[in-house]
Amino acid sequence: MASAYYEFYRGSSIGMALTDSLDELITSGAITPQLAMKVLQQFDKSLADTMVKQVKTKTTLKGHLHTYRLCDDVWTFIVKNPTFKMESNDMVSAPRIKIIACKNGEAIEAGKK
Amino acid sequence: MSFALPARQINFGRNAAQPFQLQPQPQQQQQQQQQQQQPSNGLALPGGSFLPPPSSLALPGPSPLNNQASYTQPSQPKAPSPLSAPPLTAAQPTNAIPGPSTPPAAQVPSTPAALTLEQQHITAVEGIVPTLQNIVATVNLDCRLDLKTIALHARNAEYNPKRFAAVIMRIRDPKTTALIFASGKMVVTGAKSEDDSRLASRKYARIVQKLGFDAKFSEFKIQNIVGSCDVKFPIRLEGLAYSHGQFSSYEPELFPGLIYRMIKPKVVLLIFVSGKIVLTGAKVREEIYTAFNTIYTVLCEFRKP
Repeated sequence: MASAYYEFYRGSSIGMALTDSLDELITSGAITPQLAMKVLQQFDKSLADTMVKQVKTKTTLKGHLHTYRLCDDVWTFIVKNPTFKMESNDMVSAPRIKIIACKNGEAIEAGKK
Repeated sequence: MSFALPARQINFGRNAAQPFQLQPQPQQQQQQQQQQQQPSNGLALPGGSFLPPPSSLALPGPSPLNNQASYTQPSQPKAPSPLSAPPLTAAQPTNAIPGPSTPPAAQVPSTPAALTLEQQHITAVEGIVPTLQNIVATVNLDCRLDLKTIALHARNAEYNPKRFAAVIMRIRDPKTTALIFASGKMVVTGAKSEDDSRLASRKYARIVQKLGFDAKFSEFKIQNIVGSCDVKFPIRLEGLAYSHGQFSSYEPELFPGLIYRMIKPKVVLLIFVSGKIVLTGAKVREEIYTAFNTIYTVLCEFRKP
């Protein structure tokens, strides 16, 4: 079932840190590359589950939807001039963001790149 | 579908405004004025409405003769007109064909008397022209398409083969939606005019071409035109359903509107108590206008007191 998870969280800062550490361990001979792969797969699964089950923070965003795409059950949105309203009532804005949203079991989770 | 505000325009962007129409002049004077003007400017003014109508006043059926007299010629000369019957009134010059805003001739009394209040109202209301709300067209791109490639590379595309076997693509100008099938056939919906529909279809074909397919632009055909308007008076739907039983279906427990299946032109009308009308099923815009002019006569009969 490990292959049923998306790997895009490996590109996040926590994923990059994990990959770097695993690289180091492989280079020093502490672990095998196979074990490193297993760790990464577990990371994909754990992060996906955590996002669904534990992250309850919400934000609302407004902006101009420049492009959208749905292919292979993955939605891609490019939003121009979005403003995020956080739960603490902070406003955060950016000139352009890309939202990638995919299905995870029955739940849908959203990742931001 | 949204009901647009009633269009008060008198023309289709062809000829200038005709202010004298709305002035409450005595009818005879108005008539003379129009008859004088028509040959000189050669524009298709809706002058036929002020002429004495044919003797067949207020026929109840959906195809009374006077409908032909008030028939709308195509606003676009190249468009085919399925109902190009000649006007019945001999006094009408052949180059002055009543515009689509022409009220049914039966509403005008044959005696040239000063307009009553009711007639003035009808004169004022003649500016009602159905607004086109949606045009559906099909195109054959004449080439097999890999929908996944299209969905992955084109913007604003949706492809979910589990739910629907076509790519759904949208563009912003003209604001339309296209369904693109693997066979190369395409359906373009949402345009508000024939030209927009064609332009949008060409844009979609170009997008598919740019993704590396040998797409052509062939067999463009408008399949359906939807219009709507507001006659601005309430209508007794029961009475209409009763006397036009063979064309009408009125089941207020199922749907609040009366469904009127006109035979000629072959257009389906949804008529609501409020006086709002939806016309659909036309292949050319003239069918919408003709159907409205035809039904307007009938609706006036069943106006709620």
